[in-house]
Amino acid sequence: MIPAGEARAIRSVGIVGGGIVGLSAAIAFARALPKARIGLLETSPDRAALADRLSGSLTSIHGFHRFLGLDEAALIASGAATYRLGTRFERWSADGETWHHAFGDYGRDADGGVSFHQLWARARRAGEAAGFDRYSAAALIAEAGRFVHPSNDPASPLSSYSYALRLDPDRYRQVLQAVAGSLPISRLQGELGGIERREDGGIEALRLADGRRLEADLYLDCAGPGAALLSKVDDRFEDWSEWLPCDRLLIASVPDPAGPSSCDTATATSIGWIGGAPLHGRKLVSLAYASSAAGEGKARRLLRTEAGAESAEAVEIRLGRRPEPWVRNVLAIGEAATAVDPLQGTNLHLAQSAIMRALGLLPGRDCHPLELSEYNRRNEEQMLRVRDFIALHYLRSGVQRGEFWKGLAGRTPPATLAHTLEQFERRGRLPFYENESFDRHAWLASLLGMGVMPGHIDPVAASVAPDQAKAALERMRQGLAPVAERLPPYRDYLAHIAAGAARAR
Amino acid sequence: MAERGERKLKVVVLGGGTAGWSTAAALIRFLPHACDVHLVESAEIGIVGVGEATLPHIRFFVESLGIDEADFMRATHATFKLGIDFHDFGSIGTNYIHPFGSFGTELNGVPFLHYWLRMRAEGREDDLFAYSIANVMSAERRFAPPSTDPAAVESTYSYAYQFDATLFAPYLRDYSLARGVERTEGKVVEVEQHPETGDVRALRMESGERIEGDLFVDCSGFVSLLLGRTLGEEWEDWSGWLPCDRAVAMPCASPPGAIEPYTRATAMSAGWRWRIPLQHRVGNGYVYSSSHISDEAAADALVAAVEGKPMADPRVLKFRAGRRRRSWSKNVVAIGLASGFLEPLESTSIYLVQGAITQLIELFPVEGRIEEADRREFNRMVDLEYDRIRDFLILHYHATTRDDSDFWNHVRTMEVPDSLGEKIELWRRAGRVARYTQGLFLEPSWIAVYVGQGLLPEGWDQRADQLDGPALAGAMDRLRGRIADAVRAMPDHREFISRRNAAIEAAA
Repeated sequence: MIPAGEARAIRSVGIVGGGIVGLSAAIAFARALPKARIGLLETSPDRAALADRLSGSLTSIHGFHRFLGLDEAALIASGAATYRLGTRFERWSADGETWHHAFGDYGRDADGGVSFHQLWARARRAGEAAGFDRYSAAALIAEAGRFVHPSNDPASPLSSYSYALRLDPDRYRQVLQAVAGSLPISRLQGELGGIERREDGGIEALRLADGRRLEADLYLDCAGPGAALLSKVDDRFEDWSEWLPCDRLLIASVPDPAGPSSCDTATATSIGWIGGAPLHGRKLVSLAYASSAAGEGKARRLLRTEAGAESAEAVEIRLGRRPEPWVRNVLAIGEAATAVDPLQGTNLHLAQSAIMRALGLLPGRDCHPLELSEYNRRNEEQMLRVRDFIALHYLRSGVQRGEFWKGLAGRTPPATLAHTLEQFERRGRLPFYENESFDRHAWLASLLGMGVMPGHIDPVAASVAPDQAKAALERMRQGLAPVAERLPPYRDYLAHIAAGAARAR
Repeated sequence: MAERGERKLKVVVLGGGTAGWSTAAALIRFLPHACDVHLVESAEIGIVGVGEATLPHIRFFVESLGIDEADFMRATHATFKLGIDFHDFGSIGTNYIHPFGSFGTELNGVPFLHYWLRMRAEGREDDLFAYSIANVMSAERRFAPPSTDPAAVESTYSYAYQFDATLFAPYLRDYSLARGVERTEGKVVEVEQHPETGDVRALRMESGERIEGDLFVDCSGFVSLLLGRTLGEEWEDWSGWLPCDRAVAMPCASPPGAIEPYTRATAMSAGWRWRIPLQHRVGNGYVYSSSHISDEAAADALVAAVEGKPMADPRVLKFRAGRRRRSWSKNVVAIGLASGFLEPLESTSIYLVQGAITQLIELFPVEGRIEEADRREFNRMVDLEYDRIRDFLILHYHATTRDDSDFWNHVRTMEVPDSLGEKIELWRRAGRVARYTQGLFLEPSWIAVYVGQGLLPEGWDQRADQLDGPALAGAMDRLRGRIADAVRAMPDHREFISRRNAAIEAAA
């Protein structure tokens, strides 16, 4: 008799996509299911697969790396990753002031359920508070060009922040290839030729262009926005361009004499925005813009004058999602499922979340719709709120200058974002949503950074007298300000970690 | 912006039971600068007071009011509660404790349940509940507060209270009056409404007094005088799924010896019977469906079943399961039974009260203006709680093989809400619980009822198959051992309470 567990178990997984997402999925599934056969078809990368091409990640990457067995110090030493404390937003507010979206806490809540940001907003209106990011340890440390790992001691101000990694996509992919090579993953180089369908609409087998065949119980579509597999089974697409207006991307690499830094940049321009991610000795720059606001020539000129990029690769992006990324035995991961612009570095994060969610909810071999629907439900919760969060930066940017921004403020936000904005703009409250990638501090950093202010202080927070609140804010700021100065310079810390990793080898 | 010193909102709370005084206490604690609180209660209207057993959330409520736990427990003759012991639900002769705590610990990112399911299929005869420390503590009638060290097995449980509800409201009344809540005793004879908006303007008392307000909190119980009777808010009836509509209650003297740190719920032919041990007495009651049993027969069954000497005659309460479509309409917010009712099978009454109070404080009118957006948000949060609890309660009746009475035949075979049907099917196939983080009953609670009532899944997480069988069995044995050792070191429940009471008396 076959044990119940085995009768149900997925015995083989076929993965399509030779980029970072495909490799990550292959390694994760090989780790989680050592008894299963894992086949990876390393197709040539889709140019619009941003998770495979750009440097962004969020703080969730640490847990994912632990699961894959990737050592952070080794990644630093090999130059595949550097630390990132956040993003500096330039010209991205009504008053043109620079602000930081940094990882971790902004301020400290007062007793009796009084939120810090409520007191801050009241003081700010009275002209009695520094910028919101002056109360974020990560923002201050980034600005000072310094870094240490956060402390585990809750009493230390260094425990109030976290960090992500900035990846050098080429080197990071090489690291993943090496790990994949050390695991029992059967890797096939080639292109997808065709798909054999099952009677129920699922996939029976993949046919390669050269005639080889890959058969599996479950297929992962990590092939980028074209969704080479899923689109054959379900071609619905939910368009988000109304709220995420960029449809073109120029990507370039420029020399960076300033050297590595713990902060990325996002600078609003008249036709979109320019992102900067400093890697070792070079900088990855990108211009995201709307084709309705500018032609490619104008965009190239802008990237040259603003970021010094002599040549750049042009990519068309189509933002939105496939409403059910898991259909029968086909699961789309990464941009094959959801495509957003790289503004908040979520592309790879969403792929990693999807991989972990899929492993946590792995269905039986029959991929019963009920089991898939739990995956799709949780997935949707996360994706819609990430969409909302990124859309917020366009619909409430405060930026006045330029064709691109005009009219964005007047667009009707998605219902869930409208709900958040209604509560926040009136009374500074952030309603609860399940499965958010961005926590309360992250929402506040962007809302208040751009100058979206609550109209009124919440009644509970009003119990704290303005003088008392002002004094507390000032103590907090003064307590935080000198912390950064005592820390090692960013470059020294990187070198120190790299040296430690070298010794360990 | 609203600042201190602006005109305060005048809040009138109607009803002096648990809901009314909890609301008054919380408003005066968190919003003393933003509102004046006036509570109207009538001595003629008794407290329903079935809500003697609570859920762990009450601790945070009590703590947030700045109330000392030991003092509060002594005043309300409270005991600790680690869960509910369900008897005869899945089938006659079986029982399980729904504990306030988790089952086992995750291994390699895979929930413990799945290892247990696998080992069970491989022939390990083993009780899942032995891996819940709250369960083992309950069985041995021991109690100690949970550890704050997340690595300790003693950190994997939580607790609530079992108290005398007729003493809880007066305790909060003293608290509220000391902080400036105004109180009027008397009977409301008329509710005055604004002729155009329909907002409630004032309550007219039998004494002739007229009590005006900006915001009215209806804690008038089942009567729902403001939301139901005055504003006519529609009732959504759930009695098709939850047919119990009466309870007969009767307290008894405490038996000598150990006090159970849990509530007992025993299934009966037309409902179920509670047993809630307090310091000084034991609360008993039979919750039943009046279309399946008469009041007299129910009372007889209760009297026949209780242990200990009765302290009063059986008293019958009537109710029905469901809720008002909106809990906040115009300038009336209903909290507690005035807003809806779910039978006390999982001790949710006081939790629902506290949840509504928390939302009211979070959505309290800004600058004295009641906004539709805040009302909508309040109602959204209340609905979420009600719907999820409803499904969880229905599960207790539906997941059964009992066919010994019309009542059980009805609940076993009835159509359940789609939302629950899907949850059960997902569990049955794969041992997974539809997950959310907001809401009352999370994964371990669902697992407890499913497994406890004999509904076991066919499949499990295939990652649980990877550990070597004997090694896994060893790890499971060690975990059981750790739990048993930890519990052996804990004091007896009654002794723990007596020592705390003695310490307070000595300090006074």
